[in-house]
Amino acid sequence: MPRKTKEQKELEIEKKVNEKTDKTEKKSTSTTPKKASQKKSTKTVAKTSTGKKRTATAKATTKATSKKTVTEKPVEETKKVTKKSTSTSTTKKASKTATKKPSSTAKTARKKKVSNPKDKKIDIVEYYDLPYRYNQTVVKLLAQTPKTLFIYWDISDDDREKYKEQYGEDFFETTRPVLIVHNDSLNYSFEVEINDFANSWYLHVSDSKCDYRIELGRRPIQKTEKLNTDYIYISASNEIESPNDRILFNKEQKMVYFRNVKTGEQTSKPINTLSFIRNMGKIYNIYDIYKAIYQDENIEELYDLSNPSSGNPSSR
Amino acid sequence: MQQKKGYVSFVLHAHLPFIHHPESDNYLEESWLYEAISETYIPLLTNFQKLVDEGVKFRITMSMTPPLLSMLDNKLLQKKYMRYLRRQIELSKKEITRTAGDERLNKLSHYYFDRYSNDLHLFKDVYKCNLIEAFKHFQDIGVLEIITCGATHGYFPILYVNEKTIKAQIAVGVQTYERYFGRKPRGIWLPECGYVPEADKYLKEFGIEYVITETHGILYADPTPVYGTFAPIVSPEGVVAFGRDIESSRQVWSSINGYPGDFNYREFYRDIGYDADYDYIKPYIAHNGVRVHTGIKYYRITGKTEFKDYYNIQWAKDSAERQAGHFLDCRNAQIENLSQYMDQPPIILCPYDAELYGHWWYEGPYWLYILFKKIYYDDCNFELITPSEYIDKFPNIQVASPCRSSWGANGYSEVWLNQTNDYVHRHLHVAGDRMCELAWLYPEAKGIKKKALNQAARELLLAQSSDWLFIITNGTMVDYAKKRIKDHIGRFTKLYYQIKNDEIDEDFLKDISKKDCVFPDIDYHIYG
Repeated sequence: MPRKTKEQKELEIEKKVNEKTDKTEKKSTSTTPKKASQKKSTKTVAKTSTGKKRTATAKATTKATSKKTVTEKPVEETKKVTKKSTSTSTTKKASKTATKKPSSTAKTARKKKVSNPKDKKIDIVEYYDLPYRYNQTVVKLLAQTPKTLFIYWDISDDDREKYKEQYGEDFFETTRPVLIVHNDSLNYSFEVEINDFANSWYLHVSDSKCDYRIELGRRPIQKTEKLNTDYIYISASNEIESPNDRILFNKEQKMVYFRNVKTGEQTSKPINTLSFIRNMGKIYNIYDIYKAIYQDENIEELYDLSNPSSGNPSSR
Repeated sequence: MQQKKGYVSFVLHAHLPFIHHPESDNYLEESWLYEAISETYIPLLTNFQKLVDEGVKFRITMSMTPPLLSMLDNKLLQKKYMRYLRRQIELSKKEITRTAGDERLNKLSHYYFDRYSNDLHLFKDVYKCNLIEAFKHFQDIGVLEIITCGATHGYFPILYVNEKTIKAQIAVGVQTYERYFGRKPRGIWLPECGYVPEADKYLKEFGIEYVITETHGILYADPTPVYGTFAPIVSPEGVVAFGRDIESSRQVWSSINGYPGDFNYREFYRDIGYDADYDYIKPYIAHNGVRVHTGIKYYRITGKTEFKDYYNIQWAKDSAERQAGHFLDCRNAQIENLSQYMDQPPIILCPYDAELYGHWWYEGPYWLYILFKKIYYDDCNFELITPSEYIDKFPNIQVASPCRSSWGANGYSEVWLNQTNDYVHRHLHVAGDRMCELAWLYPEAKGIKKKALNQAARELLLAQSSDWLFIITNGTMVDYAKKRIKDHIGRFTKLYYQIKNDEIDEDFLKDISKKDCVFPDIDYHIYG
């Protein structure tokens, strides 16, 4: 049973750059002020590409790093262990013995066991870091909650070159990135301005249980001869349905449909013939109790027990 | 005797991530398994046996996840568990000497000595190191229904952007189940109760009849279920979904007024690993000298105080018995009330983490034993049932689409997708896509290539384990979880390039196949 942590309670809808995951690497790149733009900015977005106007708030927290563009680094950066490292349960120790060396794939160092020259067994010493990027043009969309979407993206080097060829060498400096959020269930769209320091974003939306997809595009800061357009489409995400967050109580529902899972036979009953429904007040009381438990009482209490289903943090 | 008006269904979810380090004895994380065996799995088995011996009719459902089954089946881990027990016995022996001057404490030292000695006897001589067979026995005699889970507890609401990756999680989950239990599972515990309708067609394809969801998986379904969580619903694709009952969950789960917080129960956080003299306890704590839990705990919760009283086994039993009575009364009242409004007997579904019982709530297995006895012997208006039996008795089920949901904090995906762990998802997604690409490129691989492809599938599955994301969110053992993600993605990526470049490094493949030796029967074609 996952337990709600303090960190989670404090979680806000925030954006962060995921450029680095390894602590040692973070240190090495923190030559610029940390979290320089960590203040939360609320942006009102009014541009729409289809349908009615909507506003969205996107709180951005970007960790400034010295790497301005993602293309400056090798495609899949890994570390190669040059010294024999002992197995430990933490990554810190291993990283101390590792020297950074970019390569296209993970490498392993091999060492014959010195202790027993007769033993020809080869020790495979491994050390991996996650690739910095995959050099793919991609936009992926996930639902964190019914009203919070998570988007990550990247633009491949080839595609970047393509845009530069078409719109000029300074294409990425003279345009700004945007995400266009399409709600296909309610048929509206809105736009969120993002920035080139980010490669993922959390986004608040107004409507749960709706189909969403996201478009990554760029808008010229100023139109030029070569860049004589309002908007340049880059890529689109998968479509998802955000989860539902309420009891639907469809008042128009007249029939309730049943299926016999053994025979496959379908039957229906008028909703008012069901005894549960005939006792309307009481049923709704039951639902109200649930709703109350979820909304008014401390929901943390429901989940707050030191027993995660995932792992067994006995060393807590 | 009252007429039976409803049913109660206990579902215990037994899961641990796959932790297997043949390369070192120093991984503290391996002890999660040993603690769970001693504190949860053996106590559950012992209590099931007691109930059977006493002629008590009961029904219980357990999900046993594929990584847990793989670890219980692993010879090295079995050996290491016995070594762990011998150390526990050695420590409790020393404790008997150390506490000789304090009668109450000394009695507890003896208790631990007896308990660990008995564990060793049971594990070695009675269960022949095979706990899976021990659980299977109870399934075979009809008191326990074992269900499966996703292959490595991969969280569907994040993986499903590539549906083949959830298909593979389900396929391997079902295969592993069949390997150990010799039949198909009827139900599945969706990892973290993470429900997405996109998984239904694969669940159906692999013969899964039902899933367990969080309460709002049912309450927020479309259309609204007329019986709330007190009857299952069936999705348009034909998967039956049972929802967790809120009232009974709260009684057990709540850390504030839940049963495990009773003042007579054993205090989890006071352990001689932290309390004893450093030099004395050093051989029994982490290899690097960090104090950790040893499992020997002498205090009871006592109250909201730092000054804890000694644990009293009899008092703890008294509390468990009292609470079992309370639970029984509450269910009686709940079912009495509900049955007036329903056209069929209600089912109260009580799903919990198995490790709650025994590991966290030390007295949990005893509570369950007493409760099942009471249900059988006392005047009560309900019976125990498994979800399968309920479906068999009442196959006419309302059609509704369950709500996308999980049992994580706040009910959706925040635990597995937040700013502490969101960097992981692109790697999981790319690796998933690459695995599908490999399966498509090499439909008829043979020899070493086939082995490499199968190992790549294992590495992908291990990387997808929801546990790593959870641990990162939770903030404990984070380095280990991050390392595991890096290792599996790293190994996968390396294999991916080796396979594509036709340059498979046999030594490397052999090495990682030994470390990540989960799912021996895996077939990479599941990604095709």
